[in-house]
Amino acid sequence: MASGTPRHIMSLSQRQLALLLIAPGLALVAALFLYPLCFSLVSAFTAPEGGFSLQAFGKAFELYSGDILFTIVIVVSSCALTALAAIAIAGTLTLGENPWVVGTLRALYRWPLFIPFIVAAQCMRTFLAKNGLMNNTFVSLGLLEPLQAVSYLDWRGIIITFVWKQTPFVALLLAGALASLDRATLEAGRNLGASRLRVLIELALPQAMPTLLVALVLSFVTMLSVLSVPMMVAGSQPTMLTVDMAFRINAYGDYATANALGVITYLISAGAAILYLRHGMAKEGAP
Amino acid sequence: MQAETHGVSSAGAAIQVRDLHVAYGGTPVLHGVSLDFAPGSFTALLGSSGCGKTTLLRALCGFVPVRSGSIVVGDRDVALLPPEKRDMAMVFQSYALWPHMTVLQNIGYGLKLRGTAKAEIAAKVASLLTMLGLGGYEQRKVTALSGGQRQRVALGRALAVDPRILLLDEPLSNLDAKIRMAMRHEIRAIQQRLGVTAIHVTHDREEAMTMADRLVIMQAGRIAQVGTPEEVYDRPASAFIANFMGAENVLPVHVVRNEDGTAVSAGHAVARLAHDDATALPLGEAVAYFRDDVASLAAPDAMPQGDLLVPGRIAARSYPGGLYRYRVEAVGRQITVDDAARHEPGAAVGLRIPLRRLHIFPAAEAATAA
Repeated sequence: MASGTPRHIMSLSQRQLALLLIAPGLALVAALFLYPLCFSLVSAFTAPEGGFSLQAFGKAFELYSGDILFTIVIVVSSCALTALAAIAIAGTLTLGENPWVVGTLRALYRWPLFIPFIVAAQCMRTFLAKNGLMNNTFVSLGLLEPLQAVSYLDWRGIIITFVWKQTPFVALLLAGALASLDRATLEAGRNLGASRLRVLIELALPQAMPTLLVALVLSFVTMLSVLSVPMMVAGSQPTMLTVDMAFRINAYGDYATANALGVITYLISAGAAILYLRHGMAKEGAP
Repeated sequence: MQAETHGVSSAGAAIQVRDLHVAYGGTPVLHGVSLDFAPGSFTALLGSSGCGKTTLLRALCGFVPVRSGSIVVGDRDVALLPPEKRDMAMVFQSYALWPHMTVLQNIGYGLKLRGTAKAEIAAKVASLLTMLGLGGYEQRKVTALSGGQRQRVALGRALAVDPRILLLDEPLSNLDAKIRMAMRHEIRAIQQRLGVTAIHVTHDREEAMTMADRLVIMQAGRIAQVGTPEEVYDRPASAFIANFMGAENVLPVHVVRNEDGTAVSAGHAVARLAHDDATALPLGEAVAYFRDDVASLAAPDAMPQGDLLVPGRIAARSYPGGLYRYRVEAVGRQITVDDAARHEPGAAVGLRIPLRRLHIFPAAEAATAA
């Protein structure tokens, strides 16, 4: 890029300066992320007596293949439900005509965003338990007999917590994307006879799809890595991989199997990322 | 969803707007607008920014809630119906095409909503594209089209549903001048061929005059004048309209009526009008409006010959092509005049203005218009 000698010297020194500037950050990333990542990868592929081995993976699949499937099902269904809830909220915010409904929703929907997962899990424990707030409310309203009350503190509780916690995040991004669309493209649909629901599904969402996908991929990875919610809301078997990893380490000091489960988690989130990237490439490749 | 389509589906519908009030929040924008649109007519809503013309159009198609008043299409009041039930097709200023759809999907969307079979949609879209000069463009992405092509697709999308009413919201303002001229004639020709009732919002006077058979001039949320292009151009109802329609030269005059007739004076220049021509003129202090091409330049001592001959001095000259354009200082005002002859700046001239071509309004009204 530099044409003359003096500029060349200057740009070199600038390059060195830039390297110097980012060095602390780079060192931090290397020490706190890259080193542990490589270490856990190596550990996952190392036999107890040393040398390359798939033993840890064998053990992980033998003991936890049910939990791997459980984790995928929980996270995928949570993402699907989160998407539906976020579309409903963002759609109402964008196309709603009742100022009261829109105003109230706008004021309320972001609250769970500011609650940590562990607090959300604790709230859900008291809300979804057999004698929890939800069942008590149903009983007092006469909708449910006390004997019929069941606890939702199992896979359903995890999904409810994840959806409740992640919906505001996805809705926030999606509502922003919908608000930035050319309003006339939505009006054109209604003008030709489309109901608001059809406008949302056929005209607005396809235009905001890249944003929705980013929000869902980020939610997917977040849900995959949460330990507190499956541990507190659903303690028993089957459970999610994060709980299994914690258990392998805390109970047995079995880092190899825990790291193998970690690698499996990377692969699952990489799967989500690949799906997203392929969608993005297909869009870019379109004529 | 489809309104009663008596007879030919594309024949226009009549619209009666009565005492329409519209407000944004607490701010009133339309103050009781009443207007009739005959079937098959082409009306242009014309006015400066913020006059309420776009609001009126958006109230007609349901994007702006109506506070009171009625909008009767055929024989039903649509003022409280949602936009999708009004059966009016709109062409937007930004084209508002759906970027994730092809040309075929964009134009065919309204037909798809009406449950039309795929083959029928394809045939209809193909014939529309041929009519719009875009034959064979079905599978193109709309993002790959030029501005003029996009506007044609937007027009095709509106026409595909055989609307009885076509609303045009400044559809040409994003196009370059040459394409705009061509599109004016195309839209007008298509509207006449289909017989659809068209309402066109624009702030471009020439566009309105060349396309519409009736102009509605709006000012501050009210209708200022309704008439054919000739009527509005030649007989503006107020100082505001005269100015808006291009009579931008302003000359303070004094009007006196006696037994000899009516005398109009500007400074020391005086001209007389016979009684029958002058009955409508306001008496006393008044302001005359006229266009650049109405006045001409003469020698300062030329014979008035019934015209107002106002002495002045040339302040500047330019040559826009064909004629010279002069800025003349006369009676303390700057007047723009087009004239074929070449005069030097600084020269004393007589500004010859035919009295009949002046639009004269009372000074008080002119003050509010300015």
